[in-house]
This record gives sequence, C-alpha cells and structure tokens, in this order.
Amino acid sequence: MITMKKLILASFAAVVLSFGAAKAEETETLYKFYCAQCHGFDGNGDGPNVSQDFPVTPRNFNKGDVMGKLSDADLVNVIKEGGPSVSKSPMMPPWGKTLTDAEIAGLVKKLRVLCKCKGPS
Amino acid sequence: MRFVSALFLSAAMGAALLMSMAGVSKAGGADVFKSKGCAACHYTDGPAKEKTIADQLAKKGPELWYAGSKFRPEWLGAWLADPKPIRPYKYNSLTEKNAGGHPKLSGGDAGQVKDFLMGLTVKGVAAAPPMKDIKKIKGKKIKGKLTFTKKQPCSGCHLYPARKKVTGGFTGPSLVNAVARLNPNWIQAYMENSKAFKPVKDMPNFAGILSKADIRNVTKFIMSFKPKAK
Repeated sequence: MITMKKLILASFAAVVLSFGAAKAEETETLYKFYCAQCHGFDGNGDGPNVSQDFPVTPRNFNKGDVMGKLSDADLVNVIKEGGPSVSKSPMMPPWGKTLTDAEIAGLVKKLRVLCKCKGPS
Repeated sequence: MRFVSALFLSAAMGAALLMSMAGVSKAGGADVFKSKGCAACHYTDGPAKEKTIADQLAKKGPELWYAGSKFRPEWLGAWLADPKPIRPYKYNSLTEKNAGGHPKLSGGDAGQVKDFLMGLTVKGVAAAPPMKDIKKIKGKKIKGKLTFTKKQPCSGCHLYPARKKVTGGFTGPSLVNAVARLNPNWIQAYMENSKAFKPVKDMPNFAGILSKADIRNVTKFIMSFKPKAK
C-alpha cells in the first residue's frame, strides 16, 4: 500500500515538475516570502526564526549529500504535508493549503539547483 | 411620580447624549486617522485587497478593516497612545529588526481613533468576552498547547511565554501579550478562514488541517498566556 502511494506521488511529481512548475522568477519570490523564514535566503538553514531555542536545525538545501537522498516526490510531500509526513519535525509546516501544485513544483526545482543534486532514480 | 418621570427623562437624555457622543467620536476618529496620515500605511475599507505577494509586500502596515473584531478596545486605545513593537521584525521584512517608532497619538486622538477602528467589525465574529471571563472560554488548554508547541509549527514563528522564559520564532507577531491584545473569537475566525482576512501571508493556511475544535484549543492556550514584560 505504501509502495503504491509512493508510486502515485512519484508519478504526480514527475508530471507536475515536467509541465506545471511555476516560473523561476515567481519561485524566487515564493522562496523568499515563505521558505527563507527558516531555511534562509541562501538555503543554508539559517533563517531569521532560527535561534538557539529553535528545536531543530532546518534543512540546509546546499548539502547535496543529504538532499540527494530525497526524491522529488519526497520533497513535494514534505512541502505539502509538513515534516511529520516524512517523520521529520513539525517545525516544517504543511503548505499544501497555501501553495499550488505548480508553485510547489517550482520550489522543488529550486531546491535541486541549490543542492546541485538529483534525487534517487 | 413627577420625580420618577423627571429621572427617567434625564436618564433617557443622558443615554441619547452618550450615543451621539460615541457617533461624534467615531466620525472624529476617522478624521484624525486621515489627518495624522495613518491611511498612508493602513487601509480600513474591506474586504481584503491583496492578491499577490507583490501586493502584500507593497503594504507598509497591516490592514485595519476588521480592527474592531480583532483587537480589544482597551488595549488598542493604550497602544495608539504609546505604541510598542508587536513584531520582532519590521512589517514585511525578514532582515530588518523592528526598532519601534510607530507614530504616537495624544490621549484624545488615540481615544477617537480607537473608537473609529473598533467600529470596523466583520459579521460572524462576536465581541471579545470581558477580561474577567477569559478563563471561561471554551477549549482544552492542554490539547491546544500540544498543537501549538509540538504538533504544528506555531512556535517556529511566534514568540510566546513558556514556563520559564519567552521563546519561539521571530517572523510573526509576538503572542506574548495576545491575551490583552486579541479577541479570542477573532483568533478562531481567522484560523478557520484566514484567506478572508489575509489572502496573502507568510503563515500557512490551517483551514482543512486543524479542525474547529483544534483551533478552539489553540485559542484557549493562547488566552492562557500571562503577559510578560518582553
């Protein structure tokens, strides 16, 4: 059942990423508005919310070795459903009721640029 | 009998005078709001106008078209006369700290603008309960705390008073003094349908993620905060 869900998500991600991703300029605006709060403007995981009290270290998108282990479907899933959907921290919010599929697809593309990596095939 | 009639008449005249004074205060408040330049940063005619992130970023201050449903009047009047930062960062900024400096109004002007803003209400949001009854609002505080601090990322962006110290994130408005500032009925309405109030904002929409009961519990938790100096 889980495999089937993963397969559907992967197919969905592939289709959206291929055809429906937001333009790079729009994605940049989205990233700065939403993601930079915790992940930082350069994606280093050092946004303005991150202090000594922050309970987790937000993902550093520039670390290709870690980001490379996550598939595009994983990234879509965590942006949409939040950290707990992939057994990560709830400090990563669920953006599925805020961002469109195309906007999320655009953000996944940006993360791949930052990490200079691809997900597992 | 004549005495009772006279008493009734003077009471009725007093009530009419008070009502007309309130009307004058609201109208005067609108004039003060304009003459002091408040409208340069805050719009007061709803519904929400912003459609894109660019629209939101073009705003210099928060919209106030539902201020009468959002704020507590006693807090609003005091804040207008002696404003203190609510957000750790400047409005719409993730890089510039909020050093304060919001224009102050004199006591009389603050009262009039407060009356004007408190007249800007939205349907379906009941007025705030009296402060003495704040502990009686519905909800389960422990469940709300769990949602606020563990299950959802609220504390990632909002400061709040934990047991030993103020903690949390910095990009949203501080909730440390929320019990004095906000109408709990507005928090509930906003969380249930935040797009109606703020169609574009850097906080996730939780409608469809949190149930009405979840939101009620979170509101109960926020209303349990004891204001601290910070």
